[in-house]
Amino acid sequence: MSELAAAAPVAAPAEPRRLTAAQRWRRRYGLATLGGAIIVLWIIVAIAAPLLAPYPPDLVDVTRRLKPPSSEYWFGTDMLGRDVFSRLLFGARVSLFAGIVVVILGAAFGTLLGGIAAYAGHRAEEALMRFTDLMLCFPPIILAMAIAAAMGIGTLNTMAAMLVVWWPKFARLARSLVLVQRGQEYVEAAHVIGYGPGRVLLKHILPNSIGPLIVLVTLDVGHAIIVFAGLSFLGLGVVPPTPEWGAMVSENRQLVEQWWGATFPGLAILSVVMGFNFLGDGIRDWLDPRARRR
Amino acid sequence: MNRDSIHSITRRDLMRLLGIGGGAAIGAGLPGFEALAQSRKDTLVIGMDIRDTNNLDPVRDLHYTPPMTVHACYDTLLTMDPGDYITLKPALATKWERTPDGKGWRFTLRDNVKFVTGNKMTAQDVKYSLDRVNYIGYQAAQYLTNVAEFKVVDEKTIDVMLKNPIEPILTILAAPSFSITDSKVVAEKGGDATPQSKDKDKATEWLNQNSVGTGPYKLVGWERGAQIQLVANPTYWGGKPPYQRVVIRHFEDSAAQLLSLRRGDIDAAFNLLPEQLTTLKDDKDLWIKEHDSLDFIYIALTHNPEFNKALAVKEARQAVAYAIDYDGIIKNLLGGAGIRPPNFIPAGLLGATEQLTKEIGFREDLDRAKKLLAQAGFPDGFEFEIIYGNGAIAGTTYHVLGQKLQADLGRVGIKLKLNPMPQVNLRTLYNGGKMSATLVYWNPPAVENALWSWATVQRVAKRLHWTPPADLVKLVDDAATETDPKKAEALYIEYQKRMVDVANLIVLFQPRYQVGVCKTIKDLPLTAAGWQLEVGGVKPSA
Amino acid sequence: MLRYLTSRTLATIVMALLSTLIVFLIASLVPGDPVLAQLGDLAASNPEIVKAYRAKWGLDLPLYEQYWIFLKNLANGDLGISISTQRPVLADIRQFAPATVELGTIAFILSMAIGIPLGVAAAVGRDSWIDHWARFVSLIGVSSPVFWLAFIMLTIFYGWLQIMPGPGRIDPIELPPPTVTGSFLVDSALAGKWELLHTVAAHLVLPSIVLCAATLGLITRTTRASMLETLGQDYVRVARAKGLRERAVIVAHALPNALIPVVTLAGLAYANLLTGTVMTETIFSWPGLGLYTFRAALALDIPSIMGMTLVFAVVYLLINWLVDMSYAVLDPRVLKR
Repeated sequence: MSELAAAAPVAAPAEPRRLTAAQRWRRRYGLATLGGAIIVLWIIVAIAAPLLAPYPPDLVDVTRRLKPPSSEYWFGTDMLGRDVFSRLLFGARVSLFAGIVVVILGAAFGTLLGGIAAYAGHRAEEALMRFTDLMLCFPPIILAMAIAAAMGIGTLNTMAAMLVVWWPKFARLARSLVLVQRGQEYVEAAHVIGYGPGRVLLKHILPNSIGPLIVLVTLDVGHAIIVFAGLSFLGLGVVPPTPEWGAMVSENRQLVEQWWGATFPGLAILSVVMGFNFLGDGIRDWLDPRARRR
Repeated sequence: MNRDSIHSITRRDLMRLLGIGGGAAIGAGLPGFEALAQSRKDTLVIGMDIRDTNNLDPVRDLHYTPPMTVHACYDTLLTMDPGDYITLKPALATKWERTPDGKGWRFTLRDNVKFVTGNKMTAQDVKYSLDRVNYIGYQAAQYLTNVAEFKVVDEKTIDVMLKNPIEPILTILAAPSFSITDSKVVAEKGGDATPQSKDKDKATEWLNQNSVGTGPYKLVGWERGAQIQLVANPTYWGGKPPYQRVVIRHFEDSAAQLLSLRRGDIDAAFNLLPEQLTTLKDDKDLWIKEHDSLDFIYIALTHNPEFNKALAVKEARQAVAYAIDYDGIIKNLLGGAGIRPPNFIPAGLLGATEQLTKEIGFREDLDRAKKLLAQAGFPDGFEFEIIYGNGAIAGTTYHVLGQKLQADLGRVGIKLKLNPMPQVNLRTLYNGGKMSATLVYWNPPAVENALWSWATVQRVAKRLHWTPPADLVKLVDDAATETDPKKAEALYIEYQKRMVDVANLIVLFQPRYQVGVCKTIKDLPLTAAGWQLEVGGVKPSA
Repeated sequence: MLRYLTSRTLATIVMALLSTLIVFLIASLVPGDPVLAQLGDLAASNPEIVKAYRAKWGLDLPLYEQYWIFLKNLANGDLGISISTQRPVLADIRQFAPATVELGTIAFILSMAIGIPLGVAAAVGRDSWIDHWARFVSLIGVSSPVFWLAFIMLTIFYGWLQIMPGPGRIDPIELPPPTVTGSFLVDSALAGKWELLHTVAAHLVLPSIVLCAATLGLITRTTRASMLETLGQDYVRVARAKGLRERAVIVAHALPNALIPVVTLAGLAYANLLTGTVMTETIFSWPGLGLYTFRAALALDIPSIMGMTLVFAVVYLLINWLVDMSYAVLDPRVLKR
């Protein structure tokens, strides 16, 4: 703080300003808490969608199409007269599910591969990491687009296509983390005691490297939600009439005058992705003492 | 109108807020507008989604949008006026009659027609152009399979000799693919019109950037995925074209097209959605040009029990047809901009009218649909999968239509599974007959009844695994070759009744083109004959 | 040094080739038959024509032979012929690349020009309002779906406020400048068409803002973190202790070192901007490689997809290679590994 005090033109106190416990807590965890709260809220919405939604999400009534937001239809209706608000609530299920599952599976597979590579060393490491690099050099959305087009449209197919391009970054991160840990004394000690490599990897190295992984996972769920919505937006995501946010933006974006159809699902994506980014960012600060806020 | 005044106030306020008088200061206003005002008046700017434009060489595959450009630059022997797709009009040929032996048609060419290159148009050019279509062998060549030979009689007379003299050919020759090109220049640029032209012809690349026709405009450049540039042809035989320049500007989506039209950046917007058009109706600077098309969207249902047990039963297919809310689709989804033909021949052609649809066509009748389901042996309904592509027709996407159908059929217990896919996969499955049902689009390459009716008993029938009864096939042939229009009409009505009973092809609607137009344009002659717009006939007001 | 250089270079080339193989394997899984999509409805029903068409594009050969042909042609600088545009893929790429390079470069400059100062300001004024705002803005940038942001921007600035031009590279009425470099900015300046330059610049504003939103956030965050670390270093303290003015300490001492990780990231960010234009270009009708790739993917135009993947992979690998090289220069320890 002392060096920063010099930079602050206004009041440069010799010692840290006194913050109340509450203020300090808010500074440190405020944004992360907000992010966490947003996510929890969306998860509740996703689970309770059938209870919360005023209408069934795929109730078609072409005589009530494109009604503007009102007390009857909070977010208006779309081209087929469906309630945008209800579809938005149900859409949370698809987006959250896709984002979380892709990242968790991708992280699990990538971490395992990266961990094994780093631990195995030599030829195996070289081969595995080159393969990882190879997958990394494709722009994810283009490769996913090609795979989704090849496999056919559907939530699970699109998620599979995303998985193909999702794991490599985790493999890279896991490898570098394990490389750092491998040289540590406690790992050597474990070897000396006679623990097998699998046990050392899972019981000793991974727990010690888990922090950065958690940060990446959290930040990445947001990214995955955007990519999934993007593929849906391009017409390669969900099978209609599944309510999904990216598809909803795509269906309604041509209607400039009827702005509600595309604006609200877009805001939904923005809010949930922001939630994950706030949380991930907060966890990173918390884990990294140098960047920690006071 | 209120909305607009709000817009302009907001904008002026914002400008004032930013402390600027015009757009220039922020580097992003309406750049150079006055400077362009003069040339802007002489330029027609058309906003359109032209992503399917692959070629502007008439002999190559012309998808949906290229014919408009090709027709603006080239002429055919015969043509059709907007709105009348039964009577042929003279174009480069002024007279046509049977050859003396009765085995073909003899065309007398118009006098003193010059190509935009300055060369005189002769029968030799006609032969070269049509031979080149035939030998290069793309889609358009398929319509010439009945032609035995193109024979030059003298400089201004050409005979088209046919293998089967009674099969139709005149209506086909009116399509833009059969445009007449300057044979000398095309040959100079690597063109070839011999049986080897499939490999030897190299003129396409050049013809994609330049045109050598007799039409009102001349192609001077095509920037793929961006725009097509035309300039007036000063020697046009039909008189001086009304514009100096025509720009066909590509727009990937309709929202941007609407905004550009409102701002006057473009003069006509071709791909607006029904809702967007509704908002134009009270704009005093704009008007809407409408024209019934000959395109339609239809559902094809398989006869093959391997793909779907229920659909193989006629009554089950009929139940599908009676469960659809046709009026809701046209009235609400299309904003009323569509009509419905009785069956697979578009309304407006010989023997097909909207009135006939009311008499013999399908209609929404849920009780009847339920009865038919019971008769078919599926009283509780059944499930089938329908495939469709990613795209939109008349602003309504297959995606939206599919979901509407799903809701409609659900009312009688028929469960519709939607399977959207890339166009390629759709074509593969449909052409290979490997689907239970599909929702697709049909637009004619040329206006000739038989091109529709033959398809239903030939290649479309094959895809649906349907063997049409021999008497139906004969009925189609008789109708195609009948020269007395009254008798042909009766035959076509009979044919449509039979097809409605078979119920494997359900036409949902025939969209009405709706184009948003600036008041600066007086006339925008749309046509359904295959090239969308008579570019040469567009006239500025005042 | 030389050995490191050659091994990295060779590895990069091998990777580029392998990347085509991967695309080829994916292409082989595709159930659709591109020939049927390209031929008209009637022609596609004629087996003769379909066969001839297949033979013409080499589609009747077994897959490994097709791949072999592709590699052989590649050696001659031939990427094959696009099935949907019916001309050489290389010609397509040459035509569509300038628009993407121009857009990507402007977006890159924008994200650096805003991101670095913002990041520095956030680090220097840590926990101040500027830090909070920088954090908030960069998180919003990272969190906005591009396709939605583009829609909102167009609606507000073009449709509603009418202070920005619409989609495309120039106004519909304008003719493009005579091609020299392919960049409309440079070409219109070279041709002395200042009005046009104005138009071109205006058309770049919205798409480049949309495109750079996510990268901007990333650059800001990285600069901030790196700057914070540097400010805590001993030599910075020493500089302060010597009584240097704070501005001098930051600009002359801390910043150059803090920028090293940012430069590395910048390379990757540039690659991502160039290869990540699909959404932006689709919504802004921007005639570039992103739009081209999107259409090729939808049409399952295998030669085009292969060509584009190769181009994107090569761009990515090339920039990675440059980053590797710069590491070697900046940090000699790399060479000893």
